[in-house]
Amino acid sequence: MSVAKLLALDKVAKLFNIIKQNGGIRASLYKLYKQEELKDGVLVGEDKFGNKYYENPRYFYSRNRWVEYSEKVHLNYDASQVPAEWYGWLHYKTDLPPHQDPSRPHYKWMAEFTENLSGTTGQYTPYSTTRAKIEPWVPKPKTGA
Amino acid sequence: MLRQPLSRALALTSPTRAAPLAARRFAEQVQARPDNVEVFIDDQPVYVPPGTTVLQAAAQVGVEIPRFCYHERLAVAGNCRMCLVEVEKSPKPVAACAMPVMKGMRVKTNSDLTRKAREGVMEFLLVNHPLDCPICDQGGECDLQDQSMAFGSDKSRFTDIHFSGKRAVEDKDVGPLIKTIMTRCIHCTRCIRFASEVAGVDDFGTTGRGTDMQVGTYVEKMFLSELSGNIIDLCPVGALTSKPYSFAARPWETRRIDSVDVLDPLGSNIVVATRTNEVLRILPRTNEEINEEWLADKSRFACDGLKRQRLVTPMMADSRGNLTPCEWEDAIVAAARALRDCPPDKLVAVSGDLADAESLVALKDLLNKLGSENTCTEQYFPLEGSGIDFRSSYLLNTKIANVEEADFVLLIGTNVRFEAPLLNARIRKAFIHKETDVALVGPKVDLTYDYMHVGDSASIVKDLATGTSAHEVLKRLESAKRPVVILGADQLKTQEGSALLAYTQELALRLQDKLQDKNWKVLNVLQRTASQVAALDIGYKPGVGKVLEAGPKVVYLLGADAGVVTRESLPKDAVVIYQGHHGDVGAQAADIVLPGAAYTEKRATYVNAEGRAQQTLVAVTPPGKAREDWKIIRALSEVVGERLPYDNLDEVRTRMSEISPALVSYGDVQDNNYFAQARALAQSLQKPVSGKLDVQLKTLEDYFMTDSISRASPTMAKCVQAVLKQKQSPY
Amino acid sequence: MTLRCGIMQAIKALGSSAPNTVLSVLKKGAFAPVANQIRQTHLPAPKPNEQRPYSPFQDASNMAELAVARLDDLLNWGRKGSIWPMTFGLACCAVEMMHIAAPRYDMDRYGVVFRASPRQSDVMIVAGTLTNKMAPALRKVYDQMPDPRWVISMGSCANGGGYYHYSYSVVRGCDRIVPVDIYVPGCPPTAEALLYGILQLQKKVKRMKSVQIWYRK
Repeated sequence: MSVAKLLALDKVAKLFNIIKQNGGIRASLYKLYKQEELKDGVLVGEDKFGNKYYENPRYFYSRNRWVEYSEKVHLNYDASQVPAEWYGWLHYKTDLPPHQDPSRPHYKWMAEFTENLSGTTGQYTPYSTTRAKIEPWVPKPKTGA
Repeated sequence: MLRQPLSRALALTSPTRAAPLAARRFAEQVQARPDNVEVFIDDQPVYVPPGTTVLQAAAQVGVEIPRFCYHERLAVAGNCRMCLVEVEKSPKPVAACAMPVMKGMRVKTNSDLTRKAREGVMEFLLVNHPLDCPICDQGGECDLQDQSMAFGSDKSRFTDIHFSGKRAVEDKDVGPLIKTIMTRCIHCTRCIRFASEVAGVDDFGTTGRGTDMQVGTYVEKMFLSELSGNIIDLCPVGALTSKPYSFAARPWETRRIDSVDVLDPLGSNIVVATRTNEVLRILPRTNEEINEEWLADKSRFACDGLKRQRLVTPMMADSRGNLTPCEWEDAIVAAARALRDCPPDKLVAVSGDLADAESLVALKDLLNKLGSENTCTEQYFPLEGSGIDFRSSYLLNTKIANVEEADFVLLIGTNVRFEAPLLNARIRKAFIHKETDVALVGPKVDLTYDYMHVGDSASIVKDLATGTSAHEVLKRLESAKRPVVILGADQLKTQEGSALLAYTQELALRLQDKLQDKNWKVLNVLQRTASQVAALDIGYKPGVGKVLEAGPKVVYLLGADAGVVTRESLPKDAVVIYQGHHGDVGAQAADIVLPGAAYTEKRATYVNAEGRAQQTLVAVTPPGKAREDWKIIRALSEVVGERLPYDNLDEVRTRMSEISPALVSYGDVQDNNYFAQARALAQSLQKPVSGKLDVQLKTLEDYFMTDSISRASPTMAKCVQAVLKQKQSPY
Repeated sequence: MTLRCGIMQAIKALGSSAPNTVLSVLKKGAFAPVANQIRQTHLPAPKPNEQRPYSPFQDASNMAELAVARLDDLLNWGRKGSIWPMTFGLACCAVEMMHIAAPRYDMDRYGVVFRASPRQSDVMIVAGTLTNKMAPALRKVYDQMPDPRWVISMGSCANGGGYYHYSYSVVRGCDRIVPVDIYVPGCPPTAEALLYGILQLQKKVKRMKSVQIWYRK
């Protein structure tokens, strides 16, 4: 065991390495402000919305894959912004990210991914599917007039 | 004349059954009463008149004897044997419902022998009764269920677990109202007795005997009666259940609200059963003075019309004249503008069949404040002579219950059977039990009993009134102790209406003057709708003819759906405001539609044909944006700028009592007088008449759909189809 | 997770016509009032690739409006950063609710701290089956909470009666007793789902316009 390791200097070195990888002190502080966490890792891929996916096996399992949300959403990130194709990789359902996995099905009828739109005008509005208790009268349209 | 069915004639003739009512004011006082006899029910002494049955005597001291076949209003059959009781010194238990009391009789209703007899009877009944209570609609209100719990044995000797010996009976098809599951029948014959005694349709009967006994219609036939729904209530088991209500709800889930029926002019008392803000069914409520415990089919089954064709949102005509939904605010403002901009003499309000007294008062007050006196009803009534000044000229003065006491009934231009089915049931009751005779002036119709047909020309009434008729009816009328003359209000629509009314008044009053019983009223006018009497009391002018000729600019229709006011009869630029609960004739003609509440959705006053004010209660809330009618008019008055001085129902009713105290004396009916004055005023109107009398409702298929609620009801539509189909059948 | 407070309000505003007739009214084209309501109280749906600023209030037309909008942002930032839930653990959902307090999910990092008194709490998490017998107590506790207050309905039972919907003794959804802001589906929902619900509530809090409405008055 080296002296440096004994004095935990390797941890300090790692910290500097992380700061360096995140683009300097200012950028690191900004990242901390945004996601309250500072990690180093390998960029595995990026989806069409601009979310970046990282992996670092040095962290323990369940924290070694993560997403950094697109700059565009700023602080309005939300777990539902991870598209379906990355969801499986992020949650350890598969080890192959979408661009390395040729066996994934692609059909024309697959819907475009949307995030959770609750609270916006795009939200799903539930309606009753039961028989209406009252059938309202529908006036006959007047002809000619 | 043997008018009673054989079973009834052979059974005991108890005077108390023909007239079992406490409210009997015209009972035969002259008849000498024999001394009461003393009997002992469970060692309690009770004094009853001879001829009383043991069961009735027991009821007087509060001892309920179980029964299936016995019913107070039907003949005694004595075939279910459930009412067996032990009588001292009698070798066998006796059927309490058929056993007249004897002096010093000691009845034991809870002895070992009685209980054993009941358990035995129960066991026999259940041998062939299917165990399908979980899927039976009667479950929860089944006499058999209740009594097997209360009086049945606690153990079973039934060993036929393969059900090889249980009786099974084919179901009958008796129309779209009654569902039959004849395997459940316990042969109490209540339905047979009701059909032949009350409804007057001798279609039901039994075939076979012993295990093969079946209740049915002999040949497959619809139960062609306007009172058919009552056999559902009568059936003590689930053999006859309501078809529209089948598998809908259990009785303990429903909320029951007492109310009043408005689909015929009698104002039968009803119970509205609701669940989750939905009217599920309507049952009769006992009121001896109106409907006893019966209910007409339209009143009972048209309740599904309350869920269809409803106005749930205010509507306004758009630029192309099509009605489109809008907000209350917009509709009220538009209506108010129309009312305000209209010259008072061009402003007309027309009330319809189902309008309640509160909204009638509010609407009349509003129009009067705006300077218009043009409030009228759809039904016509002659204004000449005394017109509607005397209440006696447009009411059933004899009262519904007293018709039973009559000894001669003259019907003029009315088919009572369909215009007021329960009044007809009363007449039939009198016909059967009291030997009352009936004569009819008008078209020949089936009234379910025999009558003398005098003819259908109006001049007959004149001849009768002037005493020049040679017909036997005149003699019978003059010799009658309690004659009743019933005039159908529909006949007054014509030109000769006033003369016809004058002659009828003359005839009735001439008869009345000669009577010994000075309290007996002869003259009756049978209105057609539930709202008419209240409207006339409040001071609406009957008929719209004159005001329409004047070319009104704004017409306010308060539920007017009879089609009297049409777009063609109005000037082109007239604004029609319709307030009501159903999309029907009126709403289709309207420019502004204000959704109101139906009779199950508001607390409102209705005055029935005999002048009895009764109120409906809120059973369900009005659907969608619909609101109570008087509140709509009150809100409208605020926007028009002529605020009506009442803010809640109590204040409206105070205002109603100012107009007429009779409108708020709920349940009471006052005696009417001023007959002589009305007669005097009518003298000058006795012009010669020549027309023929005709009635609107001739046969059963005409009966079912007469107003906006029953026209919207699918059940009623099915009834009409079924009746027409039955007419094709050879039976 | 449906954040449907707005639609619930809209339906309530419609009065007794809803919700049975909504579908029929929709067919008749009379759905406009509900749609309008959503348009007024909800943000426009974001496009996937557009820039999203921090504040939802971006349509200030003058300086005063801008100032009150920023004041609202500040107020909402404070509120969403310290949502204290009043626990209402009624059944098995409460176990999952405990999990979000534990280190793995660690709700404290969002400033969410359980507070055992309704007087000092902001949100009530109804976790579990609400029985008829408990309903008055629940309403009483809700009434004791100071404004502004929110309700998270957690799990099928609280959302709509769930498994016990047809029971004789269960309230068919706690929204019959209290106005619910967030419905968390699941039986029981995972701790993650509840955490997501809390984050959704934060989003909703961020949209509050307390100062702006005061200013407009």
